[in-house]
Amino acid sequence: MARTNMSSKRRVAATVVVLVAIIGLFVVRLVDIQVVRADTLSADSLGNRSVERTVYGSRGEILDANGVVLAGTVMRYDVALSPKNASPFTRTVDGVETSIPLSQSVAEIGAVVGLSADQVQALITDSLADNPKSDYALVAKKVGVDAFRALYALEIPWLTFTQNPGRVYPNGAVAGNIVGFVSSEGEAQAGLEAGEDSCLASNNGTETYERGADGVRLPESTVTTEPAVDGSDVITTIDSDLQFFVQQVLAEQAQKTGAAWGNVIVQEVKTGKLVAVADYPSVDPNDVSATTNPDDRGSRAFTASYEPGSTFKALTAASVLDAGLATPDSQVVAPYRYLPENGANINDSSVHGDLRLTLTGVLIESSNTGMSLFGERLTDQQRYDYMTKFGVGTETESGFPGEDPGILHPAEDWDNQTEYATMFGQGLTTTALQVSSIYQTIANGGVRMPVQLVSGCRAADGTLTEVPAAEGTQVVSASAARDTADMLEMVYQQGWLADTWNIPGYRAAAKTGTAQMPDGNGGYSKGYLVSVSGFAPADDPQYVVSVSLADPVNMNSSAASAPIFQEVMSQVLKKYRAVPSGATAPDLSGTW
Amino acid sequence: MSDNLARVLTTDALRPEFTGRPEFTERPGADERRHIEIVSPSTHKRPRVVYAFSAVACVGAIVVAQLLLSVGISQGAYEISALRASQVELGRTADSVSEDLIRVSSPQSLAANAEALGMVSNSTPAFLYLSDGSVRGAPTSASGDQAGAAGLVPNSLLTGVPLVTQVTTGGQGASVASGAPAAGTAPVAVTVADGLPSPTTR
Repeated sequence: MARTNMSSKRRVAATVVVLVAIIGLFVVRLVDIQVVRADTLSADSLGNRSVERTVYGSRGEILDANGVVLAGTVMRYDVALSPKNASPFTRTVDGVETSIPLSQSVAEIGAVVGLSADQVQALITDSLADNPKSDYALVAKKVGVDAFRALYALEIPWLTFTQNPGRVYPNGAVAGNIVGFVSSEGEAQAGLEAGEDSCLASNNGTETYERGADGVRLPESTVTTEPAVDGSDVITTIDSDLQFFVQQVLAEQAQKTGAAWGNVIVQEVKTGKLVAVADYPSVDPNDVSATTNPDDRGSRAFTASYEPGSTFKALTAASVLDAGLATPDSQVVAPYRYLPENGANINDSSVHGDLRLTLTGVLIESSNTGMSLFGERLTDQQRYDYMTKFGVGTETESGFPGEDPGILHPAEDWDNQTEYATMFGQGLTTTALQVSSIYQTIANGGVRMPVQLVSGCRAADGTLTEVPAAEGTQVVSASAARDTADMLEMVYQQGWLADTWNIPGYRAAAKTGTAQMPDGNGGYSKGYLVSVSGFAPADDPQYVVSVSLADPVNMNSSAASAPIFQEVMSQVLKKYRAVPSGATAPDLSGTW
Repeated sequence: MSDNLARVLTTDALRPEFTGRPEFTERPGADERRHIEIVSPSTHKRPRVVYAFSAVACVGAIVVAQLLLSVGISQGAYEISALRASQVELGRTADSVSEDLIRVSSPQSLAANAEALGMVSNSTPAFLYLSDGSVRGAPTSASGDQAGAAGLVPNSLLTGVPLVTQVTTGGQGASVASGAPAAGTAPVAVTVADGLPSPTTR
């Protein structure tokens, strides 16, 4: 009994010692792990398990009026290799482990990204020459999905891919000058991309998740640390099909006549919406560098102002009619040279004897002297006020970045020559857009509608913001506008380009302009800016078409721009099913 | 309540319980009742083993269930992972084909293809009124002089994309390696064996 007691006591003592030793061991280990190396270990463990990932928000799209994508976002991939690891590797081909030599790998990579095997090899050797431990050399930036898949399928362990969202313009140069482009880093640089950047911009988010030793994401471990926010879509008023046609016609005629640049605007009369704004030369936003001159990469229709010339006479005529100081039949005798009392010196473009013209005739003949005789019936201030109401001297409402307001000096600053020159479109400058807006006002019964290029910014939930104002302003009376339209129809019927711009079956109204262009040194160059502006159908105007060609060296007159007007207007009338009314045109006499 | 209490106190049958001593009890009925209430040592032993076993079994079951659950979850993780991967792949396929589609539906592509098929645009519209049979506008036949015009509005995305007339009948697109822009190539004469194809309407 005593022996068993002794042995059991010893056993208990041994057990206690062992237990204490074990617990002591655990305590030491615990303190070591939980206190001494706690930070390092937990950081290590999180680093092993937790993966942070960028979630890309996609930049909003730029759409045309019918929802056609003019600018969209696609996922692209940057391809890089690790020069120091570039070596043969094994790949399973038809179930057999095969060693792929470096020469074959570089050839395969090169074939996909469009480089020769030597170029890829050079990339590796050059990087290693710079830095023997080089771990990164960019092979190709922003390759498409197909190329990415082809490269991924090569299973080359030292080839890495990084997602990099890219911008794509599916319609190329169609509306490229308006849509603009972004830099390779995704920074908005021109056009609506820049102007509407606040609407389009997206925010990249981040998420972290934990993964097991084999790289598989652990369920329910995803934590969105910052949600990605997609950009909103910009909806324009442009019709991409018409835009294509107009750009095509413009480019064809500009090349034929040797013009330096040109633009065509198609505007809806009732709403002021821009249906097409074509610029030549055009820019393909997918390949901006192909357009060498940086000036050609924007839209001169918005950003270049010049003296409009005779197309401006329609404004003067409408102002005089609105003030009740003339009718379309009012008569003047227009000399070749007119020397008003204030000392100005006005002459017409070609020598002629005294012409007995009505106001209609003055427009048909495009007589500067005749227009001066009518224009001087208004005071300078009155004419200035009419001009500003027509939108001259201020940017339009389009919201296009860098839009030119044009130059319109206050009436009291006009010198004696400017007083008269402003009656027929000299001594002030306008953009093509402002000229289009003047004709829109005349065609729309004297109501000027805000020029619209963007009809709104549409968020993901469908809400439309930045909707432009649709309130028109009455600039001249409806009857003055109607009379001006009738006179312009006479110009279309009887002007010297009547055969060139004739659209069979339709009634239209149009006016030409030929203006000298500045040479950049305060004087005039030898080139002319030739233009045609007009609208149709004349009895119920629906669309304004305004054409400008700069310095068409092979044909330095508005005859160069008239065929564009004819083709574009025909297409517009056909496309929008404007049915000829069949009503007869008014009969206004140009002479007396 | 007070009524109830009074009745309990006056019940003879309950009196022995107040003493707590069973040997003083003379009534066998009351004795029997107390034996049932007290758990005897013999009946104590067996339930203890059962309880131990059932407790261990429960623990075991829980452990097994937990194991199975965790196996299930990790199996799910692999499944999710695989599905995610295939979703990404399918997304890429969708991106790729929709890019192709958008590209070929661009006006440049349509115009070049229409031209290659021998189509010309007519810009003098005319309208036939069904009500009175009158014709509004001046119908003129298309001049067809626009051939070659489609290429003035560039689209670098179309580089290397073949025209419909260049696509071989096998359905395989002509080699992209040709590199030449689709636009501007001479229209290929189209031969139609049995008249122009037209849909059958019933």
